[in-house]
Amino acid sequence: MEELKNKKILITDDEPELLKLLYNILYDGGFYNVYKAQNCADALKTAKEQSISLFLLDVNLPDGDGFSLFENLRKFSQAPAIFLTARGEADDRIRGLGLGADDYIVKPFLPKELLLRISAVLKRVYNINSSKTSFELSGRIINLEAASVIARGEQLMLTAKEFILIKKLWENKNRIVTNDALCMAAWGEDYYGCENTLMVHIRRLRKKIENDPSKPVHLITVKGLGYKLVTNNE
Amino acid sequence: MNKTAFKIFLCFTCTAAVTATILMIINFMGFAFIGSDTHVSVGGSSPSTVLEHISGALIQTDSGFELSDGDIIPPGCWCILIDENGDVAWSQNKPEDIPHHYSINDTARMTRWFLNDYPVYVRTEDYGLLVLGMPKKSVGKYDMVYSMNWFDTLPRRLICVFAFNLCLASIFAFIIGLVLYKRLYTFMNGISDLRSEKKVSLKERGIFRELAKNINKTSEAILRKNAALASRDRARSNWISGISHDIRTPLSVIMGYSEELAQCRELTVRTKAEAITSQSIKIKKLIEDLNLISSLEYDMQPSKKSRIRLCPLIRRVVTDIINSGLSDKFEIKLDLRDEAAAVSADEHLLERAVFNLIGNSIRHNKNGCKISISEYSDSGAVYLNISDNGIGVPNTVLENISEIPKTSHGIGLPMAYKIIRVHGGRFKAENNNGFAVKIELPKVLRDCT
Repeated sequence: MEELKNKKILITDDEPELLKLLYNILYDGGFYNVYKAQNCADALKTAKEQSISLFLLDVNLPDGDGFSLFENLRKFSQAPAIFLTARGEADDRIRGLGLGADDYIVKPFLPKELLLRISAVLKRVYNINSSKTSFELSGRIINLEAASVIARGEQLMLTAKEFILIKKLWENKNRIVTNDALCMAAWGEDYYGCENTLMVHIRRLRKKIENDPSKPVHLITVKGLGYKLVTNNE
Repeated sequence: MNKTAFKIFLCFTCTAAVTATILMIINFMGFAFIGSDTHVSVGGSSPSTVLEHISGALIQTDSGFELSDGDIIPPGCWCILIDENGDVAWSQNKPEDIPHHYSINDTARMTRWFLNDYPVYVRTEDYGLLVLGMPKKSVGKYDMVYSMNWFDTLPRRLICVFAFNLCLASIFAFIIGLVLYKRLYTFMNGISDLRSEKKVSLKERGIFRELAKNINKTSEAILRKNAALASRDRARSNWISGISHDIRTPLSVIMGYSEELAQCRELTVRTKAEAITSQSIKIKKLIEDLNLISSLEYDMQPSKKSRIRLCPLIRRVVTDIINSGLSDKFEIKLDLRDEAAAVSADEHLLERAVFNLIGNSIRHNKNGCKISISEYSDSGAVYLNISDNGIGVPNTVLENISEIPKTSHGIGLPMAYKIIRVHGGRFKAENNNGFAVKIELPKVLRDCT
């Protein structure tokens, strides 16, 4: 966790009040290495002097826009970037993400949300795994890192597809995940008509994680919609 | 459109052919009537009448013949009487070049025709032949001889001429009609373009010059008006998006500090800060809707359309609603028949419409209800029905469904209605043992995206 908080973050916004707020939010969130810039020139200068780990860029800047600033930064830094914008239009969103930005936050935002998004990007890009990599379901331990299930002292390996499915369900635990989202995660873009295949994989998964696969209590079917991973402890 | 022009063309051709034929008959009859009037008049009466009078007024005396009334012969005319021997027995006004004696050949030659270029008419009497001569070049005489066969075949030939005339008239009418049809066709297209408010520029020539000119002017006027309207709407919509943009940054600061204050130990401060946060979130939602509503109000077309399968979208919206903590009092029943059915739509907007409709059922039925969602399709459209068995909505809401309300309250249904309409769909809402909405969207086939 410390590793994450030590990352250097550069924030740019032309509004001094908001810049101050962003700084405070990050400081309170435990990020102490935060650099501020009010325009593109400052941002580029700081970015060249420091090895920044994450850019938080406002789209509207006095001497250019965040998108072109991002393209300039990309010339020498591969650090992830999050756009912060007052423009809610979907066009901007797509443009930002199309350029290779890692996330996109529309103003106004809640400080908690901002911290979560920044942490998520840092974790993903720098491969810092702070979340639980294993969990327990009725005495069976599912280890996501090893892609295995330990049941009654016996280790069962998960197939690639089963692993993707259980990971997706675990990320959305106690919430319904639609068939479409599961198929999309496991089989990609062209997922139309794979509901039956999904059913087969879910059945196999149940054999590994359920004590009684014919009466599932954790991997529940929500008729017509999808599946839900019910965990007892949370 | 094509059909209408063709109909006009057909009517025109038939009418023209019939008109031409009727005209021909009338002309024929008129010509026959005028042509038959070959009456020759001498001093007000026909030559035979004059001859009759002369014969009546001619008195035979011992010395010869004498006319009791000299005025009976019209001026410029002359009269002679030829006796059985071929000699002129009596004469009046006889010109010099008229002979005194006639052989039988002379008589035969002259009787029906001319005597020394004088047109003559004859009358036979017991005592001789009365000859009435008229001035030279006053009458033309032609021989008309018809065989009986001519009379027998006359009806048949008349019918032939009649039919030929009809054919000819039809062909002419067809050719003229074709030209007219072509011209008319461009007019039909022009007017139909006018209706869909496209630019129309017809060639301004021929008999329809004025018409073409007027249509072109109308098209220009419509385009001008639309451009003015569009620029006004754009200005308004830009203004709204500008305002919402400007509000976002200060609101971020407010939300940031209010959340920070909400961590204060003092309870009163904390409650106040929490109120500020929750109200700020409301403003945030309003701003997010503002652009959407303003663009919907001006019936702007969604800019980012893509091929969307309806079923996953419905499942996603329903799942989101259930995941966000839907009370057990509600039951959502899905009946999705056509998994492959797709529409061309802005995904975000369509999701919003479905969300609003389900959300509407939930909000209006505090005591819970059963919500049924069904989807099916035919060759041209995808149908989505969302209904509940709750208390329904007030009739005033249904009546004003196409109007965006002035406040954000009760905007859900009109927004859904507008979204479906800008996607070229149909939207029907009614109270039928609860609230029911029937949506019809144009179907997009598999291969076209």
